[in-house]
Amino acid sequence: MTDETPPEQPFDEAEYRRRQRSRANLMGWMLGGLALLFFFITLARMVGK
Amino acid sequence: MAQSLTHGEPALPADWRDLFALTKPRVMSLVVFTALCGLLAAPGSVHPVLAFSSILAIALGAGASGALNQWYEAGLDAKMKRTAGRPLPAGRLDPQTALHFGVGLAAFSVFLMLFAANWQAALLLTISILFYVFVYTMWLKPRTPQNIVIGGAAGAFPPMIGWVAATGSLAPLPVLLFLLIFLWTPPHFWALALFVRSDYAAAGIPMMPVVAGETSTRRQILVYSLIMAVGAIAPWPLGYTGSLYGWTAVVLSAVFVLLSIQVGTRTTGQDDRMQPEKRLFAYSIAYLFILFGAVVADHWWPL
Repeated sequence: MTDETPPEQPFDEAEYRRRQRSRANLMGWMLGGLALLFFFITLARMVGK
Repeated sequence: MAQSLTHGEPALPADWRDLFALTKPRVMSLVVFTALCGLLAAPGSVHPVLAFSSILAIALGAGASGALNQWYEAGLDAKMKRTAGRPLPAGRLDPQTALHFGVGLAAFSVFLMLFAANWQAALLLTISILFYVFVYTMWLKPRTPQNIVIGGAAGAFPPMIGWVAATGSLAPLPVLLFLLIFLWTPPHFWALALFVRSDYAAAGIPMMPVVAGETSTRRQILVYSLIMAVGAIAPWPLGYTGSLYGWTAVVLSAVFVLLSIQVGTRTTGQDDRMQPEKRLFAYSIAYLFILFGAVVADHWWPL
C-alpha cells in the first residue's frame, strides 16, 4: 500500500521573510507616493479655483 | 511571526508580482492609452497633476476589474492552457487575498477619481467596474456566445471616462469613441477565440467558435469589421474630427477589413497554424492604438 498524500513542503522562513520585507517596502513607497499625490492634487485644485 | 510559525502551516504572503499580474497589465495598457486619448482630445486644458491622477484612477479601476475577474474565473482559468499559469489557478495566491485586493483597489480607484476629477467621472468609472465584473464576468461570459458583443461595452468606457474627467460632461465624440471600441471588440476577440478555441471548449465557455462553429464566427468577424470600419470613419464626416483622423481611419480600417476578409472567407485544414487569425488579432491591437493616437493628433494639429 502506498501513501498517496504528497510529502509536506518544509516551511521556508527565509522566503517568508523576503516576501514580507518586499511587500512592506512596496507598501511604504506606495503610501509615500500617495501622500505626495494627494498633496499635489490639493495644490492643483487650489490653483484651479 | 515566531508564534505563527509554531501554529501548523502559515501561508506565504502573496508576492507583489502575483498581485500585479492579477491586474492584467497588458489589458491595462490599452485601457490607459484610450483613456489618455479621451482626456487629451477633450476641449480645454486639465492641470497635469489632475490629468495624471485621473488616468491613474482609470488604470487602478481596470486593474481591480481584472483582479475580480481572475478571482471569479480561477476555476475556469485552471482548465485553459493560456491561463493556467495565472497566480490563482497556479496556486501562488489564495482567493481571499485576490478578492480583498480587487475590492480594495476598486474602491480606492473611485475615491481617487472623485478627489482628482469630478463625480461624473467617478460614477462612470464605478459603472464600468460593476459592468465588467457583474454583467460581463458573472452573467454574460458563462451563458451566451454574445458575451463579447455586450461585454465589449466594459472595455469601451475608458475614453469616455477620460473625456468626462477633463470636462465634467459627455459629448458626441467620446460616445463615438465608445462605439468604436464596442464594435472593435467582437472581431478582435473572435480572432483570438478562433486560435485558442480548444482552450475555451475545455473550460466550457460558450465563445462563438465553440457554440456557433468556425464558419459562422468567421462570417461574423467580417460583418462586425465592416460595421466597425463605418463606426471608425464616422467622426470625420460628422464633423467631430478633421481629415488627419479621417484619412488615418480610412486607411487603417481598409486594412482591417482586408485582413477580416482573409479570415472570414477561409476554411482551416489539418495542422493549420491560423496565421491570418493571429495576424488580424495582432493588427487589431495596433489599429486601436494608432486610431486613438490620431484622435489626439487631429485635435492638437488639425489639418
